[in-house]
Amino acid sequence: MCFVALLLAWLGVNLYKTPTDFFNVFLIGLTTGSVYALVALGYTLVYGILQLINFAHGDVFALTGLFASSLIANRFNLDENSGALVILAGLAAVFLIAMIFGAVVNSTIELVAYRRLRSAPRLAVLITAVGMSFIVQNISLAVFDVNFRSVPPLISDANVFSIGGVHYNWQAFFVILVTAPVLVVLSWLVKNTRQGKAMRATSQDPEASAMMGINVNRTISFTFLLAGGLAGIGAVLFLVEFNIRYDTGFELGLIAFTAAVLGGIGNLTGAVLGAVLIGLIQAFNEGLSWFAPGSDWTRSIVFGLLIAILVFRPEGLLGERTPEGA
Amino acid sequence: MARRRDRARTSVRGYRDRAVRASRLDSGAGQWRRLPRPVRTFTPVVVLLAIAATYPFYLASLPSGNVPLIYSFPSVRSAVTILVFTTMAVGLNVVVGYCGLLDLGYVAFYAIGAYTGGWLASGQFQQVRFHFGSVGITHDARGIHISIWLVLLCAAALTAIGGILIGLPTLRLRGDYLAIVTLGFGEIIPQFVRNADSLHGFDLTHGTFGISPIDSPGFGNTVHRAVGLPVSYQQSFNADRLFFWTALVILLVTIFCCIRLRDSRLGRAWIAIREDETAAGAMGIPLMRTKTWAYAIGAFFGGAAGAYVASFNAGAFPSQFSFNISVFLLCMVILGGMGSIWGVVVAGVILSWLNVEGLANIGTWLNDNVFPSNHNIEVAKYQFGIYGVVIVLMMMFRPQGLIPERRRKRELEEGGHGTLDDGIYEMRGADEPGAGERGSPGGPIPRG
Amino acid sequence: MSEPATTPDSNLLVADDVRKEFGGLIAVNDLEFTIPERSLVSLIGPNGAGKTTFFNMLTGLYRATSGTILFDGHDVTDKPPHAITKLGVGRTFQNIRLFPQMTALENVLVGMHSRLKGGIVGSVLGLPRVRREEREARVKARELLEFAGLGRVDEELAESLAYGDQRRLEVARALATEPKLLLLDEPTAGMNPQETVTFMEFVARLREQRPLAILLIEHDMKVVMGISERVTVLDYGEKIAEGTPREIQTDERVIEAYLGKAATH
Repeated sequence: MCFVALLLAWLGVNLYKTPTDFFNVFLIGLTTGSVYALVALGYTLVYGILQLINFAHGDVFALTGLFASSLIANRFNLDENSGALVILAGLAAVFLIAMIFGAVVNSTIELVAYRRLRSAPRLAVLITAVGMSFIVQNISLAVFDVNFRSVPPLISDANVFSIGGVHYNWQAFFVILVTAPVLVVLSWLVKNTRQGKAMRATSQDPEASAMMGINVNRTISFTFLLAGGLAGIGAVLFLVEFNIRYDTGFELGLIAFTAAVLGGIGNLTGAVLGAVLIGLIQAFNEGLSWFAPGSDWTRSIVFGLLIAILVFRPEGLLGERTPEGA
Repeated sequence: MARRRDRARTSVRGYRDRAVRASRLDSGAGQWRRLPRPVRTFTPVVVLLAIAATYPFYLASLPSGNVPLIYSFPSVRSAVTILVFTTMAVGLNVVVGYCGLLDLGYVAFYAIGAYTGGWLASGQFQQVRFHFGSVGITHDARGIHISIWLVLLCAAALTAIGGILIGLPTLRLRGDYLAIVTLGFGEIIPQFVRNADSLHGFDLTHGTFGISPIDSPGFGNTVHRAVGLPVSYQQSFNADRLFFWTALVILLVTIFCCIRLRDSRLGRAWIAIREDETAAGAMGIPLMRTKTWAYAIGAFFGGAAGAYVASFNAGAFPSQFSFNISVFLLCMVILGGMGSIWGVVVAGVILSWLNVEGLANIGTWLNDNVFPSNHNIEVAKYQFGIYGVVIVLMMMFRPQGLIPERRRKRELEEGGHGTLDDGIYEMRGADEPGAGERGSPGGPIPRG
Repeated sequence: MSEPATTPDSNLLVADDVRKEFGGLIAVNDLEFTIPERSLVSLIGPNGAGKTTFFNMLTGLYRATSGTILFDGHDVTDKPPHAITKLGVGRTFQNIRLFPQMTALENVLVGMHSRLKGGIVGSVLGLPRVRREEREARVKARELLEFAGLGRVDEELAESLAYGDQRRLEVARALATEPKLLLLDEPTAGMNPQETVTFMEFVARLREQRPLAILLIEHDMKVVMGISERVTVLDYGEKIAEGTPREIQTDERVIEAYLGKAATH
């Protein structure tokens, strides 16, 4: 608790000293956090249903992003000179294709590797996930080589608003514009559709669900498809904002996983909340100037945070402290 | 006694039995099986040891360039790296194989060991001038320069302490969280050494440049004059061989200690924890303490290996340490067989060789002989994908590894009841939610 | 075996107002329970009555929500399992929890963990003291296995033993912890009548040879009535009856708990 107080105090000082920077950085954090949210949701969905940390998820994200970048550049030939409608249509198509690509890759991994090990001890599946992560990463390396890929600035960087030095441009706003409806649709899907209910039931008790007539295998596949699709959307957004390389997935995966744990693993709202928080923390760390460790230390900070959560409050912010079992 | 033997000799049944036995006994296998067990276990080890130790001598007479598939045999210098990585794999085997703790951050121990070597045997700390048994440098060189032999022990001890410290918050976590947290430490520590060149102005690790040069092992002038042992490895004409033999000794010591531990009370406790943690606790095994010991021992050998490599390379550089190495070592343990020392040694040698020059060599050979001349495939680029494939395939099809742990091997020999491929996974009632353990996602385990 | 420090009639274990809640569910409801020394007490009750939960609290696997548990004069309410075992509580599990990839002998040796002293340095160096301790431990372990009728299978992997053998191995392993109190959780579950009789004889031999108390959870009434000195009946986490087997058999509340109200009318 006192740690949080210190953190808030540090933020407060920075806010006081450089308010415009603070808000700019805040917005950046929010934006990045949205992308993290999409990936974090993938982790949390899979963990909720299989109690598996899908190590390969981040790398699926990266692979999809690289694929999308080559789509945009080579197939669709989109660049900043293409007309606005063309860009929008192109992007929409890319989103769709990336979603499908991510979904297919993710569920293929499940079919090929994890399904066989359904009855194996958790350790074995986890180790397999690590192996799959390396395989996917290597595929990215093999196909797309070591270079960073990105897309030309398709969205203008004119400002959506600019209040007293605090800017927010369309490029960043685009991320929010895409993420928000996706989250809404996801939430509807999980709460109101049959598949969503099947997912929730299976994550609570696979055996009982099976006995109630739920096709557990299909539900699990669906979960992986969903997670992969989300990662695909996130990948395109990340591409628009930053750039991707074959090994981007590793760091991003860990950040997203930390976000999921921070919010409470298995809890969807928690994943989004955690992701936004992590996005903010990263932005504050890298953007603020008063006593900010800087981007060199981002990884350490995120990992330190992860360790701290798992040791002191493993259920995360929104999770429930489990009673000691049956 | 004699009387009974006489009777057996004359009875018909005895005659038939003896005939059958005799025909079997005279075969090589029969004769082999007749030898007492210690001899049977030791002989292959001794033979292998002889083959390994004399490697530098006969390497020159082995074919080189265009050996099928592998192109050429590893140089002595490469062999040193191979031995060191294998030592680390044996250390990791204690944590993952014996105790069943998935450690994804073993590289942290490697790093701590290497940098301890750097601190205690280089000019890093120019503020002081402390020499103790150092060889190969002038006595007015600044910095801390302690004899490498001592440094190895110090680095091992310090890394063990580091392991205990890391273990304190970590080891009470459940399997998958433990893995992530160890991964975290495995990332934090290398990032720390990369950035710790200005901690309030104090240069601890010299940042991205790393610490170099690092002193050499050696025996100094006095011992050299007395028994002829080399003064300083790095400055000897056959430096590579000296490093090679010492690395071999270090590996053997590590193997020896681990075998002894495995067969001891502590080793049984580790395996019990691996098999069923709850039952182990109920049988009086203090879980946290025992797991911490596993971690500390693993760290001990990782640290020793790290310090030795630092001296061998005459430097410790942050670029050497990454998550990939932790997974690489894990791959060795899985390929060899979790808990199986000899399996891990064999797998360690194979995979380290692939990493150090094997894949590049195979690539060269393939490009020369198999692939069309305009298609040059850089096999080494795919090494981590290959390791990933190895891990996934082993987990799916042969989780007990190439050379299964002795218990399972015995079962294979005797044609025991449990089948290995399904049995391993179905028998594991230990991992199923048992009374008192089912935590929903994110729950803490009941007791440490 | 150490001599009991207290008089034969005193209580080895005293559970006072012990309660266990899981969220809103009260599994054990302010239970008072005593086990006299060298006695054989059975704990019965319908499924879900809280018997195994109580066992788990006695052995430190669960922490009581409230109440205290005293064992042999020590307060063990908050102690971790290994500490309680060291004080002298041994147990078996409802679903057999042997170490499957260890031999029968090794399973028993693990049970002796808290009674042996061999450390790291001694083991690595092969000090004579440690070697001797290991030799003696193996002798003792083999004796225990013989006593449990498992002398022939000491080098067999636990997972390949017959079911009845596995049950007895669990008991042998628990005995290796040198317990003053032995907790047996449904030891005859899944056994056929012949195996059950063999097991009962085993328990009888056990009581003759060792000065320990036994707490038994059982569903098989023949076993319960046949060997218990005292029977306690739980239902919904509460004690509804306690007495000699004969008294329990005819207690209305017990019959009602098992068979429902209609059965008593």
